[in-house]
Amino acid sequence: MIALREISKTYHKEGGVEVRVLRGVNLDIEKGEFVSIMAPSGMGKSTMMNIIGCLDRPTGGKYLLDGVEVAGMNDDDLSRTRNKKIGFVFQSFNLLPMTSALENVELPLIYSPDDMDIAAKARAALEAVGLGDRVNHLPSELSGGQQQRVAIARALVNDPALILADEPTGNLDTASSDEVMAIFKRLHAEGRTVILVTHEPEVAEQASRIIRMKDGQVVSDERRVNG
Amino acid sequence: MKTGQMIGLALSGLGKNKMRSFLMMLGIIIGIATLTVIISLARGAQMKVMKGVQNFGANAVMISAGGGKMFGPPDGSTTTLTLDDARAIQESVKGIKHIAPFTVNLAQTVVFGNKNTETVIFGATPEFADAWQWFVEGGDFIGDEDTSGLSKNCVLGQTVVRELFGGQDPIGETVRINNTNFKVIGVLTKRGASPHGMDMDNRVVVPLTTAMRKLFNTTAIGMIRLYVEEEGRLDEVSANVAAVIRERHHITPPQEDDFRVTNTAAMAKTVQGVSKTLTTFLLLLAAISLLVGGISIANIMFISVNERKKEIGIRRAFGARAVDIRGQFLGEAVIVTLAGGLGGTLLGLAISLSIAHWKGIPAMLSWQPFALAVAFSALVGILAGLQPARRAAALDPVTAIRG
Repeated sequence: MIALREISKTYHKEGGVEVRVLRGVNLDIEKGEFVSIMAPSGMGKSTMMNIIGCLDRPTGGKYLLDGVEVAGMNDDDLSRTRNKKIGFVFQSFNLLPMTSALENVELPLIYSPDDMDIAAKARAALEAVGLGDRVNHLPSELSGGQQQRVAIARALVNDPALILADEPTGNLDTASSDEVMAIFKRLHAEGRTVILVTHEPEVAEQASRIIRMKDGQVVSDERRVNG
Repeated sequence: MKTGQMIGLALSGLGKNKMRSFLMMLGIIIGIATLTVIISLARGAQMKVMKGVQNFGANAVMISAGGGKMFGPPDGSTTTLTLDDARAIQESVKGIKHIAPFTVNLAQTVVFGNKNTETVIFGATPEFADAWQWFVEGGDFIGDEDTSGLSKNCVLGQTVVRELFGGQDPIGETVRINNTNFKVIGVLTKRGASPHGMDMDNRVVVPLTTAMRKLFNTTAIGMIRLYVEEEGRLDEVSANVAAVIRERHHITPPQEDDFRVTNTAAMAKTVQGVSKTLTTFLLLLAAISLLVGGISIANIMFISVNERKKEIGIRRAFGARAVDIRGQFLGEAVIVTLAGGLGGTLLGLAISLSIAHWKGIPAMLSWQPFALAVAFSALVGILAGLQPARRAAALDPVTAIRG
């Protein structure tokens, strides 16, 4: 489903210094896989996530998502692709403040060109993460774990091909982390493709495949049976 | 994204920061309210003056004693205009249907029984009625035998009747003016206010000869009223009249006239001219206040975009296109200005009505302020919101989401 070929990303810092964050990444991820991408901080992890998530375009190489070349897409096409195919989960939840859980989950749907009962779909997604009784709560009225579950509901609501989570447990206590990881496992069991970006080995190990990166390249690709 | 959703999004965005939204609106509210008040009051004032011009009478040329640019009747001490001037005008100016020389004496007391009221005494000939197109409602007007015989008969305006007689019929009664008894022989129809705001019904008309020789002991007249055959000849007649009097009074151009000639067409033109100047001034005022309001909105919008970078990044991550973000912020600006515009109009109308009520100034309410408010405020919203909205839409999602 995801095919990265010789992906490179180079930033130009102020003063003309070039920073080569990704240096020829090759990677294939099949539909239904549960993959962790591990890298030390500042080693291209976020850039990988942005490129896979179609938030950013690579400087070089090819990226096929569901057989469609992403590198050449214009801004509107990238937006549409994010809307239809990607569900993001962030470390800091990134919920809209002063906006109810329901409205937060509705967010991807209002940018969808399809006709649907937005509120009903959003409500169903909240119920799927066990927050059917919290629809009208504001993020500030929810615990960290609950907020991250709202964020997962938002990532799921438009039925994307790919769930892309960036350190999803980084801001959570152990109990909440376990809850959130259980949801990801369940999503994987339901046949969804899940990619976790993390630097914590104990989180990464819960996936069925661990890809380790260093200095902008893939250094190991380990498949696990227990995941 | 559908328009309804866009509006909902903009509304909820505004609702999350009510104080800021209100402050954004305030400039527009004040601007549009001011505009509405001035339009209502200016139109009211213009209507009042136009009504006065109408009351003053059609096809009228008025010659007053005394020069300068003063408006309204001369005071009794000006003695530059005489009956001979009137006769000369009648003989040499063509196009005049009626001519009525008369005297005007302001602030005179008229007494009936134990009641008295301050009024204006007009000394008039029988032609006065035709020249003014103003006739008696009951009784008779001053006749030829009144002027030739210096009779002590008088005709009352409606205000004097009301003040002195209440509901009683005044005809046949006796009133006192300047220690002289006058018999009331007629009552004039109601006329209303003059273009200068004077109550034209507050008057007593006596024979011209009686006024000149018995009441005020003068050989001069105050004014001459002409009724011109055709409206189109008003300016021509006015010019000819001025020429005749100048010749009689030996006035050559650098010298100032010792009389004034005015006519209804010129009066109406003056009013329209004033109102045109006023309208231009108002548009300028509105433009400035809306410009200031617009600048403050643009300013706050820029701050808002900056503060909401993270929100923009999140929306982009979940599929908002640049055009959706632009629409959201532009929508907020336009909704704020439209709401401010409508609020300002309502506030302005309320203020206009209050001023009209408490100060007795007529206000004319109309649909124009609403149309102007909607058009102007939407325009200001688009102009003020466009650049901030563009900036919001141009943000890179990756950078924006970091906040």
